[in-house]
Amino acid sequence: MPRFPGILAHHSEPIDPTLWEWLSVKIDHILGLSPGVLILLLGAVIVSFPIVVMVLVSRRRGGLDSE
Amino acid sequence: MSNDLSRLEGSPKKQSVYYGWYVVAALFFASFLAIGSRQGFGVFVKTWEEDWGVSTASISVAAAIGWLMNGFSQPIVGFLTDKYGGRPVLVISLAVMSVATIAVALISNVFGLIVLYGFVISFASGGISPATTGVVIARWFDRKRGTAMSVLVAGGSAGGLIIVPFLSYVLVEYGWQVAWIITGSLALGLGIPLLLWVVRSKPSDMGLFVDGEEPSINEAGEAKVIVRAVGPDFVDKWKEALGTKPLWQLSFGYFVCGITTASISVHFVRWAISEDITTGTAALAFGLLSAINAVGVLVAGMLSDRLQRKNLLGAVYLVRALAFVSLIIVPGDKAIWAFAVIGGMSWLATVPLTASLTADVYGVRNLGTLFGFSNMAHQIGGAGAVLLFGWAFTRLGSYDIAFAVGAATLLAAGIVSLSIREKKHSVRYVQVAPESGAVDDVSSSVKGRE
Repeated sequence: MPRFPGILAHHSEPIDPTLWEWLSVKIDHILGLSPGVLILLLGAVIVSFPIVVMVLVSRRRGGLDSE
Repeated sequence: MSNDLSRLEGSPKKQSVYYGWYVVAALFFASFLAIGSRQGFGVFVKTWEEDWGVSTASISVAAAIGWLMNGFSQPIVGFLTDKYGGRPVLVISLAVMSVATIAVALISNVFGLIVLYGFVISFASGGISPATTGVVIARWFDRKRGTAMSVLVAGGSAGGLIIVPFLSYVLVEYGWQVAWIITGSLALGLGIPLLLWVVRSKPSDMGLFVDGEEPSINEAGEAKVIVRAVGPDFVDKWKEALGTKPLWQLSFGYFVCGITTASISVHFVRWAISEDITTGTAALAFGLLSAINAVGVLVAGMLSDRLQRKNLLGAVYLVRALAFVSLIIVPGDKAIWAFAVIGGMSWLATVPLTASLTADVYGVRNLGTLFGFSNMAHQIGGAGAVLLFGWAFTRLGSYDIAFAVGAATLLAAGIVSLSIREKKHSVRYVQVAPESGAVDDVSSSVKGRE
C-alpha cells in the first residue's frame, strides 16, 4: 500500500518520509551544518521575505501619498 | 456575458513597478507557507509512530483524507472567491489553517490528526491554492498573466524546498509540537498581516487598472476610456461553461496531470528501490528535478504570454509522456536522471498554463469555480492512479505497465490540449462587444485616483 504523496505533487501533499530521509542525509552531507545553524538560516529566509515585501509596499504607498 | 478584463484605448503609460507584482509576492509567500507546511507533514510520521505507538497506515488515513478534502474544497473556495473576492477567502483560509496548525501541537492520537489535518487544515489550504490565488492574479494581470501565474506556482514549490527542511530541523532540535506551533505562528504573525496589508482582490480596489496601464487623457482633461475586452465564451454563470468544449478539454488534461504527478509522487521511492537505485542517487536526482522544475515553470509561463498557451500545454504533456517512456526504456540509474531532466521541464508548468487558458476563455468572473473544478479532476485522477499503480506493482512486480499507461494518457492529454481552438475561444485572439457594466467599473477606478 503506498504511503505518502511526495513533494513532486502539484498540490500540497505531504512529502514521503522515506524520500525526506534520503534527502536530509544528502543535505547534511553536502552542507555539513548543525541543525541549529540551519534553523537560523532557513528561518531568516522565511521571516525576511514578508518583511521586505511589506516595507516595499509601505514605501510605494508613501510615495503615492506624497504625489 | 462577463466583462471582467479591461483594455484601454489610447497610449497607456507604464508605472515603474506595477502594484500587481507586490500582490504576486504576497501570494507567493502565502502559497509558500500553505504548501510547505502541508508537505512538512511527512517529516513527522516516524516521530508520531514512536510517540503514539501507531502504524504508518493509521497516519496514512489522515493524509489520504487530507488529499481528498483538499481536492473537494477547491470548487467551493473557488466559488466563494468568485462571489466575495480573493482577499477575504485567502485571509480566512490562512487564519483557519494557522489556528488548526497550532492546535495540532495539542493532540495525542491519530483521531485528532484526522480531524485537524485531514479535514480542517486540508480544506483550509484549498483556500490558498491556485483556485483562489490564481483568480486574484488573473484579475490583476492580463498580458503577463502566464508569467505572474508561473511565479506564484514557483512560490509553492519553493515552500516545499525551504519549509520542509526547516520543520525537519526544528523537529530534531525542539520536538514536533514546537515545529507545528512555529508553522502556525509564522502564518498568523507574518502571512495574514502580509495578505491584509498587500493583497486586494482586484486592481480597481486600489484605483488601478489591469496590467498597470493608465488611461490616456484627452484635451479636456478627461480620461479616455474604455474598451473592455470580452471573449466569445465569457460566462456570467459557471454552469454555462459546462456545456462548452474547452472546459472539458482542459479538465481532461488536468485529470491526466493528476494521474501522472500523484502516481510518481507516491511511488517514487518504491520504484527507486525496485530498480536498485541508491538513496544518494535518488536524492540528487530529485534535487535536480526540483531545480529544473522551477526554471521550467517560469519559462513556460513567460512563453505562454507570447505564444498560444494550448500549444505549450500540449507540448508539456508530450514531454512528460517522454519522461514516462524513459522510465521504461532507459536502464538502471540512467532512468532516474533522464526522468529528472525531461520530467522536470514539465512538472509544474501545467498549472499556470491551465489557469491562464481557463481565464482567457471564460473570463475571470467564474474562474475560481471553473479552475476549482479542474483542480478537483486533478485530485480525483491522482487518487485513482495511486491505487492503480500500487495494484499493478503488487500484481506484476514492476511499474512498466503502469508507466506505459501513464505515457498513453499523457499522449492523449497532449493531443486533446493541442486540439483546443484557442484562436476561436480565447479573449487574446477574439474579442466581442462589451456590456455597459464595464464602463462603470473602470470609471470608478479613475475617479478613485483623482
